[in-house]
Amino acid sequence: MLVFRKPIEGIERPQMPADVVIVGGGPAGMACALRLSQLIDDHNSKNPDSQLSKENIYVLEKAREVGQHCLSGALLDPRSMRELLPGFEKEAPLDAEVSKEAVYFLTEKSKFKFPITPPPLRDHGNYVISLNRFVKWLGSKVEETGITIFTGFAGSELLFDGPRVAGVRTDDKGVDKMNQPKSNFEPGYDLHAKVVILAEGTRGSLTKQLITKFDLAKNSNPQTYGQGIKELWEVPSGRIAPGEVIYTMGWPLTTREYGGAWIYGGRDNIVSLGFVVGLDYPDPRLDPQHVLQDFKQHPFVAKLLEGGKMTRYGAKSLPYGGWWAIPPVAGDGWMILGDSAGFLNSQRLKGIHLAIKSGMLAAETAFEALKKDDFSAAMLNRFQKKVESSWIKDELWRVRNFHQGFEHGFFAGLFHAGIQQLTGGRGLRERYPGTAGYQHMKKLAELPPDGGDEAHLLGPAKGDGKRTFDKLTDLYHSGTKHEEDQPSHLVIHDTNICNARCIKEYGNPCQNFCPANVYEMVDDAEQPNGKTISLNPSNCVHCKTCDIADPYQIITWVPPEGGGGPNYDGM
Amino acid sequence: MPDTILVVVEQREGKFNRVSWETVTAGQALAAETGWTLEAAVVGGDVTNLANEVAAKKVAKVYAIQSPKLEPYTPDAFSAALKQFVESKKPKLVLMPHTYQVRDFIPKLATAMGRSAITDCIGYKTEGGKLLFTRQMFQGKFTADVSFTGDAPWFVTFQNGAFRGDKAEAGASAAPIETVNAEIADGIVRNKPQEVFKEAKQAVDLTQAEIIVSFGRGIKEQKNIELAKQLAEALGGELAASRPICDSGWLPMDRQIGSSGQTVAPKLYLALGISGAIQHIVGMKGSRTIIAINKDSEAPIFEIADYAVVGNLFDIVPPLIEEVKKAKAGS
Repeated sequence: MLVFRKPIEGIERPQMPADVVIVGGGPAGMACALRLSQLIDDHNSKNPDSQLSKENIYVLEKAREVGQHCLSGALLDPRSMRELLPGFEKEAPLDAEVSKEAVYFLTEKSKFKFPITPPPLRDHGNYVISLNRFVKWLGSKVEETGITIFTGFAGSELLFDGPRVAGVRTDDKGVDKMNQPKSNFEPGYDLHAKVVILAEGTRGSLTKQLITKFDLAKNSNPQTYGQGIKELWEVPSGRIAPGEVIYTMGWPLTTREYGGAWIYGGRDNIVSLGFVVGLDYPDPRLDPQHVLQDFKQHPFVAKLLEGGKMTRYGAKSLPYGGWWAIPPVAGDGWMILGDSAGFLNSQRLKGIHLAIKSGMLAAETAFEALKKDDFSAAMLNRFQKKVESSWIKDELWRVRNFHQGFEHGFFAGLFHAGIQQLTGGRGLRERYPGTAGYQHMKKLAELPPDGGDEAHLLGPAKGDGKRTFDKLTDLYHSGTKHEEDQPSHLVIHDTNICNARCIKEYGNPCQNFCPANVYEMVDDAEQPNGKTISLNPSNCVHCKTCDIADPYQIITWVPPEGGGGPNYDGM
Repeated sequence: MPDTILVVVEQREGKFNRVSWETVTAGQALAAETGWTLEAAVVGGDVTNLANEVAAKKVAKVYAIQSPKLEPYTPDAFSAALKQFVESKKPKLVLMPHTYQVRDFIPKLATAMGRSAITDCIGYKTEGGKLLFTRQMFQGKFTADVSFTGDAPWFVTFQNGAFRGDKAEAGASAAPIETVNAEIADGIVRNKPQEVFKEAKQAVDLTQAEIIVSFGRGIKEQKNIELAKQLAEALGGELAASRPICDSGWLPMDRQIGSSGQTVAPKLYLALGISGAIQHIVGMKGSRTIIAINKDSEAPIFEIADYAVVGNLFDIVPPLIEEVKKAKAGS
């Protein structure tokens, strides 16, 4: 019997007042905390009579350790870090400065190099980093300044007071599979905050609650997403130089899918390799992990990885929708940062620098609010204005119609992108509409039974165990671990749809798009179609793909008991 | 008259819970700091012997609070007896160890008296003449100093290990013992305690088994488990399974082998209908001899099997059971 996680009702919870609660200890949340700390320290040194306290500023991080759930390629544009910590390059854990870039178009057996690296993909001046290590370091700087980071605590619900966000409720701990308290039960805390800053990363669960409750997205394009799926490899010396950056397009995807791969040379012969698949592909049988394995079969990639060893695996979704898909980012008692808001440049494939800048601007707003003790919507809306007059807007404005241009296929996308390049981002009209990715998914009845051109992308990868892997083997290398005896945190609102409708219409694509084998259809003679949905929630890597891509939109991802999740050391 | 600190020590079925000595240490420290008198109480059916033991410690007096209704333990009886006692003796501070038993009745006792309890404390301090009790928050990230705002008696429980039981000072001479007959009216005790639950000794310790017969999804239906069981019995081995089997509840969790179950290294590991996903392999790859039966010739289990049998386990296992029985009968 499937029981889904829900905050326990009718119990007393510890109540705690707070000034600022930042939900999420990723680059946006940490940059916000650090900047706020700097502003307060500066203020206090100049105003001995009216000191501001940092004691009531908290960061909530659901992972057991800071950085453990952070995954990205990654390439860091140092622009915002240089504003936050001038000279940061001397102490931050950077793998290498980008030394060489190449962009390839792949076919099944060969490759064509772009004679000129397209300007958006030029990375000179950027750094290859491990986001996990980078955030760990940022986190240590935050703690040094005296702001408390609560690791192992997830934000499970927003607290509302009429139109106001009044705080955050943390996760209930020690709840068993049937959602009943165990002997080690600890109710979640109710943190009553003057402002809640949501920095949960892509498809934040509290952000989703907020947007739904206040219909915040009514004037925006629907947010669209891709899934980034990554492996870390140790390769023999000399294969790839630290700082070498390679992007590929084309094979194994067809013109009907959006996406491409990255290969970054890190230090110590470690290669970051991965594929981003737009979650708006037509065939529900497509399996992004299979796409990645196919990619590694290409002679070019196979040669690179020959004799190497895969050390880590992970996946995360990323918001592609661009400027028009960003909802209002501030309101009565709340602000939204980073990927949760959708601050990502899909053309450059970069968002970390924007997340950090958004954190800094939110910190400045929170600081002004603290000084005046005014956390009204009018005050917090300053964050919206700051974003709109900052280089975040300048950068994202130029690519505001980029991803939407690809909704009708690869070549159409290139065409639009070309025109947008010449018109400062406008393209053929001011605002290209967008559609949510899951609406592009076609029913099985509309597709060739054998998959046609996409056949090699569909269904689970078998893996040869050396260069390519089946999903379970890859998953093992994500280090994901959860308390087993807890309710399922993948909340399916109506499992009858899975067993009676989806199985026939789409073939239960959750089995394919989940990179962690959480969803399985297992034999059940009592079901109309002989199968029932079965979950392995402890496999989850917190990528949020299911919440995004399910064609019926009946899956809600909520945080499991804090402390559980993947272990993205080095990712 | 100085105020009193009362330490309620815990006994169960006539045996002390050792953690009570920690509470005595706490009481002694508090008494030294505040100048209040330290007394102790034992609650139960017939606790004279236990009271004598407590009297050896440095306390001013020991009370043996007795009644046949206090054996076995019930929260109603303990709460009633202690309420009566505390109301008559009026201690300022009542200390107990934060045990399961105390957790069972202290909320009831405190509420019945309209008083507060500060529980699971890791220490105390005094600030400006006020007593503060320290509790942990956010899984130990923070501590909070909590004080009483209401009237005495104040109820406090201390966490295991917050004080050192071996530091409880012995008294110069045995403290006087006063027996108090608790009057518990009929009908007060609503529970009828059954046999004390003894943690069921794990039926099996797979790590000690020399032969393990393990099965996975290939067994297809729950009723087919009988086949694996027969093989295990014939071989004199233990039954085990991979994760999906235990997740479905077909076998208890303590029979699961793999990264989220047991890790075993028996002399013989028989894998029936197990594909050999890495999560399972890490739990058994140390086995001396591995025999795998699977109808999929490409199953990863065959990479680590010493003997690979590609075939349908339903065809192979029944005759195998017969052969094993024959071989054992013959020898």
